[in-house]
Amino acid sequence: MSGVPERVSLDVALKIINAMIKFAKDNAMLPGSYAVVDEGGHVVAFERRDNAPAATADIAIDKAWTAATMKASGRILEVITRGQGWRLNVKHKGRLTIIPGAIPIIAHGRIIGGVGHSGGSAEDDLKIAQAGWAAIFREEDFNVDVEEKLSLARRIANEVISIVRKESLKPVSVSVVDEWGNLILLYRMDNAPFGTLELARDKAWTAAAFRIPSEKVSIYYNGSPLSINWNERLTPVPGGMPLVYDGKFVGGLGISGNTPTEDRRIAIEAVKSLGLQVFE
Amino acid sequence: MEEYDVTIIGSGIAGATVARELSKYKISVLVIEKNSDVGLEMTSTNMTLVCQGGDSLTFRPGTLHAELNVKSIPLWPKLTKELGVPFKRIGGLGLIRDKADYLKFLKMYSRAFKSSLKPDAPYYISEKDFQPLQFLDRRSLRELEPNINPKVIGALYDPNLAVTDPIKLTKALAENARANGVDFLLENEVKHVERKEGYFVINTDKTSVKSKFVVNAAGINVDRIAEMVKARNFTYVPTKGVLTDFDEETSEIFRHQAFYLPRLGEPHVKAVVPIIYGGLRVGIYLDFVMRSDKNLPPQGLQHNLNVIKEIVPDYPFEKHIKRTFFGIMPLTNAETGWHDFIIDIPEHVPNWINIVLGPAGVSASPMLGEKVVELLSMSGLYLEPKPNFDPSAKRGVRE
Repeated sequence: MSGVPERVSLDVALKIINAMIKFAKDNAMLPGSYAVVDEGGHVVAFERRDNAPAATADIAIDKAWTAATMKASGRILEVITRGQGWRLNVKHKGRLTIIPGAIPIIAHGRIIGGVGHSGGSAEDDLKIAQAGWAAIFREEDFNVDVEEKLSLARRIANEVISIVRKESLKPVSVSVVDEWGNLILLYRMDNAPFGTLELARDKAWTAAAFRIPSEKVSIYYNGSPLSINWNERLTPVPGGMPLVYDGKFVGGLGISGNTPTEDRRIAIEAVKSLGLQVFE
Repeated sequence: MEEYDVTIIGSGIAGATVARELSKYKISVLVIEKNSDVGLEMTSTNMTLVCQGGDSLTFRPGTLHAELNVKSIPLWPKLTKELGVPFKRIGGLGLIRDKADYLKFLKMYSRAFKSSLKPDAPYYISEKDFQPLQFLDRRSLRELEPNINPKVIGALYDPNLAVTDPIKLTKALAENARANGVDFLLENEVKHVERKEGYFVINTDKTSVKSKFVVNAAGINVDRIAEMVKARNFTYVPTKGVLTDFDEETSEIFRHQAFYLPRLGEPHVKAVVPIIYGGLRVGIYLDFVMRSDKNLPPQGLQHNLNVIKEIVPDYPFEKHIKRTFFGIMPLTNAETGWHDFIIDIPEHVPNWINIVLGPAGVSASPMLGEKVVELLSMSGLYLEPKPNFDPSAKRGVRE
């Protein structure tokens, strides 16, 4: 990569996340959640390290969203709201997160996105998020080893992306959740519409919650369309796949971006090529 | 493999200051520099200003930035006299365009009082080292600077502000350190550092040395060197600053340092400094960049010309441009603009000191040496003063 990026692409977001993980590891900071959003505040890449509290996932995403959409660092917002920023949480369904660890991505004199980290003290969160932003001004790439679950999730996501690129399909969002349905990874390929984000996440949740492919969940309510409103995450649409590795259930995969049948086929191929159990 | 008590990586203003301060003690010190001479990178692209009053007193209290700059004020005249480095008080003008500017300057003025001028202030400096600041009205400003923009309604005048030659100062500091027994290893780029039990092994592209303590003062590459031993606990963004020099004739037109306060929609610095050898230095067009960026942005010169035209409107400055150049400096907390120095031992890497200065680093340098000595002695380095330390001796760093 040469020069400072003009916009937050998936490659840039992954570089930022790797830089954050490296910084946290070098300084023996607690594992946490790492989120990068684009100018509109929508996730481009998200990762949660093993052993990081599951609830930090949405905090990190919301911090990044806050920085990008308020066009200011959490620290500035803290000062200008005189520490009363939490009162604004009644707006935006509580998404506004005025806590250090929220950094706007400034490049070429404008704000092109946001970085959020959650998992440590406010001070650590800030330092890690700063390290993430500064990575876009670094020439070198950061290669880090991550823990078992996250590295499996990365392999699956990379496989999905390579299938989509190879077959010239429409760009997708890909999401991996753990066995409890909590988010581990969420990538949005360049030019994939942001609406696919939540869809991918919910498909993965649905597959993990019932441990069957998402479209088969209807066996639990006998196909009645009225009975699916009991959970807002429930998405019985093809494209969600449970992940069974070495005979052990480890989580769910969700893909969205093409037709549901296409998404399902990508999921099956990705799972197959990595040697995980295949649900036809 | 040669063994040293302290190895300093980098010999810009920070490395040279620390080397000279450590040469006052009976320890073995080595300076490693990748270039063929000292002070060739960040130190050489400087505004040449020595913050001596109005500006440094208004840095946010509680930061190292404020502490080192204010405490350095009384040390400057003695230091530059000892080393034979030019030092000239030119006085600074904070230009007031309207009431909003005036209110901001009033705030800065009172902050200076709270943080430094009252006897119980955190960084007290006595009256003999410091002449009081004063507000000038339109007429007295015109007497001081007849060519100034008539739209300027007044100024906050700081008689203490000075200029120096940072490159000459760095050379003098390094040569004095050399004369007092510090070794220099020029043209050696640090490639790899290993952390062993109780010492570090520093591998350059030509040789290896062993050192108990390391002071990492590598300028814009501090983070890369620190990452070699997992000692990077800070972040900065490389910031390019474009400056323009105007020829000696312009010294007759304007004699003081002057600046406008930043405003919404004007993200770049607007300042002019008469440099010590004559001529004006104007800037600063700022941009966050990669450190390897070698492009001179064309907007830089245009911005700098606009700045000088806004300060002195009726003079053909286009015909007096000498050169336009840029420097790259590290800016910490760049997302908020609350820059601060880093002079710190990382939590997980003892006996290692990171130094990141950035803007106002030269002004803070006299105090920097003492700060590092304090950190080293806290880390267990026994420092016994050398009785035969000569503060003015010089010896070439290549000898």
